[in-house]
Amino acid sequence: MNVQFKKGVLELCVLVLLDKKDRYGYELVQKISDQIAISEGTVYPLLRRLTKEGYFTTYLKESSEGPSRKYYALTEDGRAYLKDLLVDWEQFTNGVNQLIKEGVRDE
Amino acid sequence: MNREQFLSKLNDSLKRLPSSEREEILQDFREHFEIGMSEGKSEEDIASGLGSPQQIAKELVATYRLEQVGETANTGNVLRAVWAVIGLGFFNLVIVLGPFVALAAIVLSGWVSGLSLVLSPVLYLVNVIIYPEIFAAYDLFFTLFLSGLGIFIFIGMFYVTRWLSKGFVKYLNFNVRMVKGGMKDA
Repeated sequence: MNVQFKKGVLELCVLVLLDKKDRYGYELVQKISDQIAISEGTVYPLLRRLTKEGYFTTYLKESSEGPSRKYYALTEDGRAYLKDLLVDWEQFTNGVNQLIKEGVRDE
Repeated sequence: MNREQFLSKLNDSLKRLPSSEREEILQDFREHFEIGMSEGKSEEDIASGLGSPQQIAKELVATYRLEQVGETANTGNVLRAVWAVIGLGFFNLVIVLGPFVALAAIVLSGWVSGLSLVLSPVLYLVNVIIYPEIFAAYDLFFTLFLSGLGIFIFIGMFYVTRWLSKGFVKYLNFNVRMVKGGMKDA
């Protein structure tokens, strides 16, 4: 897949993962890189940007092993933004899938 | 690359950010290393998974620059933001620099034509001083009219410039969000 627009998808992945529950940075990175090949480090700039835009809040929480971890929580704005992105995503993938189906049939 | 090397490279590439901001970022990555190591990964494996610290820093600097423009948009800020976004990758050189040069040319030509109209009576009078025989009241009034027109163009350009730079900053934000980066082999 063309790399240029995967970045927008990364944003969607992070938002979806946080919709279920609050998570810390490392956890988010692992969850995503289990599924897609990413440069893990670029998730952090994304987290910072979305936090500054008011889509996430962060808090520190002690962990049973080792030092406290920074958790990210979705805000109301973030949830609304996720909904918009999901609608866009659905339309986009439906469109592409439709084209693929038609293309395959023609051959 | 081990943990220390990764963090110091990242730190070096973030020199342009305020130190409080930089410290927060480094803390996020220290946490990442600590958790990874507690799961038994080696420092080198974690660093190579994270990718290039320089690329990560570019991303953070671009975000920071755009944020600054959001607070106060002046020429220096916008230029720094454009520069930072271009730095994200070659692709951005094409799709950011092209429109930017075109818009800058439009804005500049608007201001220059406004300025030349405003100054036209002065230029006319200079001409009259050099060649007194060409003086005609009609010409003088006509240049005064042009001067008034120039002032209107100035006022118009003020809004056009503000509007265009706001629009362009939105476009830069879109670029940081969607284009290039984040993926392996990008």
